[in-house]
Amino acid sequence: MASNLCRLFSSSALKLTFSHTRSDQLTRSLSNSVNRLICSATQQPHPLEENPKQSHKQRLRKRISKTKARKKIKKTTNDYDDNGNFVNKATGEVGGPRGPEPTRFGDWEKNGRCCDF
Amino acid sequence: MSQYFDFAVIGSGVAGLRYALDVAKHGSVAVITKAEPHESNTNYAQGGVGSVLSPSDSVESHMHDTIVAGAYLCDEETVRVVCTEGPDRIRELMAMGASFDHGEDGNLHLTREGGHSHHRIAHVADMTGREIVRVLLKAVVNDPNISVFDHHFAIDLLTYQDCSDTICLGVDTFNTETLEAIRFISKVTLLASGGAGHIYPTTTNPLIATGDGMAMAYRAQAVISNMEFVQFHPTALADEGLPIKPTKSRENAFLISEAVRGAGGILYNLGMERFMPLYDERAELAPRDVVARSIDDQLKKRNEKYVLLDISHRASEKILSHFPNIAAECLKYGLDITRQPIPVVPAAHYMCGGVHARLHGETNIQGLYVAGEVACTGLHGANRLASNSIVEALVFARRAVQPSIDHMKSSKHDPSTSNLWGKPVVTSSLGSDAMDKILTMTRTIRKELQSIMWDYVGIVRSTTRLEFAEQKIGELEAKWEEYLFQQGWEPTMVGLEACEMRNLFCCAELVISSALSRHESRGLHYTVDFPNLEESKRLPTIIFPCSSVKSTWSSRQLHKQLMC
Repeated sequence: MASNLCRLFSSSALKLTFSHTRSDQLTRSLSNSVNRLICSATQQPHPLEENPKQSHKQRLRKRISKTKARKKIKKTTNDYDDNGNFVNKATGEVGGPRGPEPTRFGDWEKNGRCCDF
Repeated sequence: MSQYFDFAVIGSGVAGLRYALDVAKHGSVAVITKAEPHESNTNYAQGGVGSVLSPSDSVESHMHDTIVAGAYLCDEETVRVVCTEGPDRIRELMAMGASFDHGEDGNLHLTREGGHSHHRIAHVADMTGREIVRVLLKAVVNDPNISVFDHHFAIDLLTYQDCSDTICLGVDTFNTETLEAIRFISKVTLLASGGAGHIYPTTTNPLIATGDGMAMAYRAQAVISNMEFVQFHPTALADEGLPIKPTKSRENAFLISEAVRGAGGILYNLGMERFMPLYDERAELAPRDVVARSIDDQLKKRNEKYVLLDISHRASEKILSHFPNIAAECLKYGLDITRQPIPVVPAAHYMCGGVHARLHGETNIQGLYVAGEVACTGLHGANRLASNSIVEALVFARRAVQPSIDHMKSSKHDPSTSNLWGKPVVTSSLGSDAMDKILTMTRTIRKELQSIMWDYVGIVRSTTRLEFAEQKIGELEAKWEEYLFQQGWEPTMVGLEACEMRNLFCCAELVISSALSRHESRGLHYTVDFPNLEESKRLPTIIFPCSSVKSTWSSRQLHKQLMC
């Protein structure tokens, strides 16, 4: 695996030479990012009940802690064994994390932070 | 002051503690650790241990995955041994009380990390390392034959020449709390002192990882191997890019998971150019080695400190739901990841190389054994497979036990041994003014060394850059030593920051000279001057001891300082 990566990388390296990047690719990626900037700027997913006096960052902090709390208490039927341990129905793991498999992208992920690879 | 033990263990991570428990049945053991006993790289290894623990898996498959990840530089016999003996070592941990996660069927829950073809990672939630350290430390503390010496910094191994053999009889240490030098005379010494992440400015390693063991072994004339293979994680949170800078520098890196890229995160340089497609058709989903190399290349080309990982184009609810840890951490420093890109930079993580070890952890120094990250056993080759490091430490710690016992039984303590070497001297004779100046200078020099290493001995290397680094670091070392001695420092003096600094210099130089000697690119070592794999170069890099032509303070054992 690692040897293939080396060859891939070095063949790309011959492309770049790490040489000058092609301007058309740059333009495309730049315009993509501008489009994304425009899109994200138009997203206003603020629920009506938020206090308009709070700053954006205060509202964001609240949303983060609500999300974390929701993750902790979310229950579906048959999610716990007789000892009260959470059972992940998808993986069969007892006492493990809820939600998607932490290693689904190769490293070990917890709420976005990588804790092992 | 001298202490006499049958076995001295330097380091209190998984390798050191596991070994101590076994040899303690045969003699007295000193576990010497530079900070708190639980403070080790193991403690931060949160994922799991990889081993063949399922009937559908096989030793051959684990071996294959290891060797492929290692770019075929692994020692096949070592790989066979670790893959074969790993399962028993993990079962022993379970028997000692480590509560690995189980499935509903009562069997171990095994997960699958990148590079593994089977589910084989046994884990304790996401704090496996901490749980292993907890269980081992509890047993160590309760063992009447083991004495733990925390806050004892190991300075140099005590060795002497007997014809062509080098023999190790213990280690000099320095109690960083009482400021007292303590000499340990031991029949057998196990070096299990871990990694050297702090030769780089951004690292996942805790502050204790300053390459002390590798440096001590090198100064004692041990053979060192494969130091060029340094593993990086591509995307650690880059503090320089945060709107509000942290008031004190982060001790170990906050890694942004591949899951962010998996969820659509895009990498940009500071010119807002998306660069990954230029390096690999898989773009951001290329393997992490490729991503790390690409980021490094961009940083060096553009002379910048970090790149940007942007997930803000995804729905903010999804971002907050999947990545609340990152959102919270960034928000602390004024960054909203639902609207702004995340500054990231690669972080040094693991040293695949180290003190050359044979199949039972023996080194070329009699009475000195090695295990864990400080060792180069041949398991990892040119790149470590995920979750192979703890199992390597367990296997080699166990394998070193019998030869250690045999060696111990054939040795005798001689009370006069302690006088064979001059004693280290503490810094009480230096005034506080001189000490302050030395400390300030040492901290500055450390940052400069890390900066040179990152700029010139990073992920994408070249002969020119490596040679430049070699020269710059040599000059930096000379400048630092000159300053020390000008302030009244004596050659046999010891102090924590100064001794760590000399070890960092030593390790940095070993990485550079190893990197210069590999005229191919393989695994973690990539150089633009030799960008391809060369079958004829598929050999480990070995640094043999030689009577040191160098006369730096960092390159000679403390007790030999007065002899030149």
